[in-house]
Amino acid sequence: MKPRKDLSKTLYEKDLYPDEQTFAEDCALIAAERLRRGEIDRRSFVKALGLLGLAPVALKFASGSAAAQAKELVVVNWGGPAMEAYANAWGAPFEKASGTKVIIDGTGPLASKIKAMVEAKAVTWDVCDTGTGTTLVLAKQDVLEDIDYTIVDKTKMAPEFAYQQGCANYMFSFVLTYNKAKLASAPTGWKDFWDLKKFPGGRTLRKQPNGMLEACMMAAGRSQKDIYPIDLNLAMSKLKEIKESVVAWGSGSQSQEVFRTGEVVMGNIWHTRANLLRRDTQGEIVWSWQDGIVTAGMWNVPKGNPAGKETAMKFIASAQDPASQIELFKVMGNGPANPAAASMVPADMRDIDPGQPENMKLQVLQSGYWYEEPSGKGKLTNDELSREMWLDTLSS
Amino acid sequence: MLASQRHTYWLLIVPAVLLMLVFYIYPLIQVLWISVTEPYFGLQNYEALLSRPLLHRIWLTTLRICAITTIITVTLGYLVAYAMARVGERQRTTMMFCILLTFWLSVLIRAFAWVMLLRNGGLINSALMGLGIIDGDLPLLRNEFAVIVGMVHFMMPLAVLPIYSNMSGIDGRYVSAARGLGASPWEAFWHIHLPLSKPGLIAATILVFVFSLGFFITPAILGGGKVVMISEYIQVSFEETLRWGQATMLASSLLFAVLLTLALVARFVDLKKVFGAR
Repeated sequence: MKPRKDLSKTLYEKDLYPDEQTFAEDCALIAAERLRRGEIDRRSFVKALGLLGLAPVALKFASGSAAAQAKELVVVNWGGPAMEAYANAWGAPFEKASGTKVIIDGTGPLASKIKAMVEAKAVTWDVCDTGTGTTLVLAKQDVLEDIDYTIVDKTKMAPEFAYQQGCANYMFSFVLTYNKAKLASAPTGWKDFWDLKKFPGGRTLRKQPNGMLEACMMAAGRSQKDIYPIDLNLAMSKLKEIKESVVAWGSGSQSQEVFRTGEVVMGNIWHTRANLLRRDTQGEIVWSWQDGIVTAGMWNVPKGNPAGKETAMKFIASAQDPASQIELFKVMGNGPANPAAASMVPADMRDIDPGQPENMKLQVLQSGYWYEEPSGKGKLTNDELSREMWLDTLSS
Repeated sequence: MLASQRHTYWLLIVPAVLLMLVFYIYPLIQVLWISVTEPYFGLQNYEALLSRPLLHRIWLTTLRICAITTIITVTLGYLVAYAMARVGERQRTTMMFCILLTFWLSVLIRAFAWVMLLRNGGLINSALMGLGIIDGDLPLLRNEFAVIVGMVHFMMPLAVLPIYSNMSGIDGRYVSAARGLGASPWEAFWHIHLPLSKPGLIAATILVFVFSLGFFITPAILGGGKVVMISEYIQVSFEETLRWGQATMLASSLLFAVLLTLALVARFVDLKKVFGAR
């Protein structure tokens, strides 16, 4: 029963704990939920989890004799079914091609843990599954390796998501989600989101500004291509306009919860959670790709990783294979990062893939570059300043 | 002989002291150290406490919520303890069980239970609407009100238990004597019972206030992201923005706030007596 125990632990600590949560972490939870409902093949899941439970132990014993050539690579994600999904989609192919064992560690690559590891010179992780926000924060702390774009292919991802110290492993979107049953008509964009008269009811926005500022800009009348540079003062005044009606979400499950309790009728939430809401309410709660904000999950490599920088980069490159990304999409719901994968998505799943051309053209790609730039206020980057101002405005 | 016996007693506490030194005092010193060395050596992190309006607001929110929570909790706790000290043995056992029962429930479960009660269309709103008292949902959730409700609920046992243990030691004959000498019930309570129960009252106040300062989960859930208390901001600084200098400074200032509270209280009352050391 070990897997089940792990699962409930994940659900309890990572999901209920009103911690700010990364998208990657949330995907693991969604997959756990889908497994529970029998939407993912249970037999293979259980089998794989069993194997996973034993595999690290077996490896430990084996490493004594075969250590010479059996190097291992530790990939860290947010646990639960993500362990099996990553192992199948990305671990096994790389193992086969390179002979390097891939171990999936589901303990969660928190930014603070990565920093602590690198600073203590006790790094046990090779590749970490984080987000753009975490990547930028870590980059400033100087604890990540640069992505080696001679090994990792920059053309196999949207150029916006090829950061210096992180690159896309999948894509997801912040989308306008709304409760059809409680609104007279369908909102058509962020301007409608801000229109409390025409669309009365609660709203939900994220506790972190990442993905919200863009919506504020569009609500203020900026066109998609003019979102950046973001005017933070304008964004805060937009937040103030509707703040009384806003409930802020920290974790993905919270964004779902406030819709289900009826506290909000509209929200700016992750498309994976919007999809669950649509399913659970039989299409009462839906989302629109219009003016959605596409962002990406990120691979990071901590400085001084045990398997060496090159091996880590090779793993990242191998995870760019479109077929493997489709496999992950089917289980986890996070859209393939490689544009070449879009045409391989099964027809019935295209409406939940943010990377489909017809969905993509409605949306805007988030620009990490703006977040990295200095804000001009103290030594803060735009990312840091915006976090501070967002929290300040929300709590004032 | 006596001196050597004393030595033996000191030896008995050595393991506990060592444990505290290694696992508590040393990390605590590290926290203090980081707060003056990150990102560079100096008091700039503490200076931010004075100069940054965001930190002012977070601290004020924290202190306001803690003060209100403490007043309400201790008042209600006093009433419950008073009743407990006076009812029969069986009722007392039942009351104690109910109080401890909530004590054993996880803080998360308690917070979510309040979400269910306070939300739009929840039990309280729909009951009030059913009675025709209100027309629309009252905004009971995701605000400071909800946070205080959740915190008072959480803190109740911490107020009831010390007050009750103090009250159960008060000889009921004092009040009877006062009544016999012509005092009204209110006078007897005000001049006799209340002063006698002061140590319990103060212990409860300190306990509740100090615990409230560090609250994290309840405000995060019931406050809907709009009620940010100091602990939540420490978590954000530590885990998300990796500003460890700021996080440790805030944690240290929280510690200083607790010590300051105790120092202030100690000026007026004998803390040793309050906590039963004398």
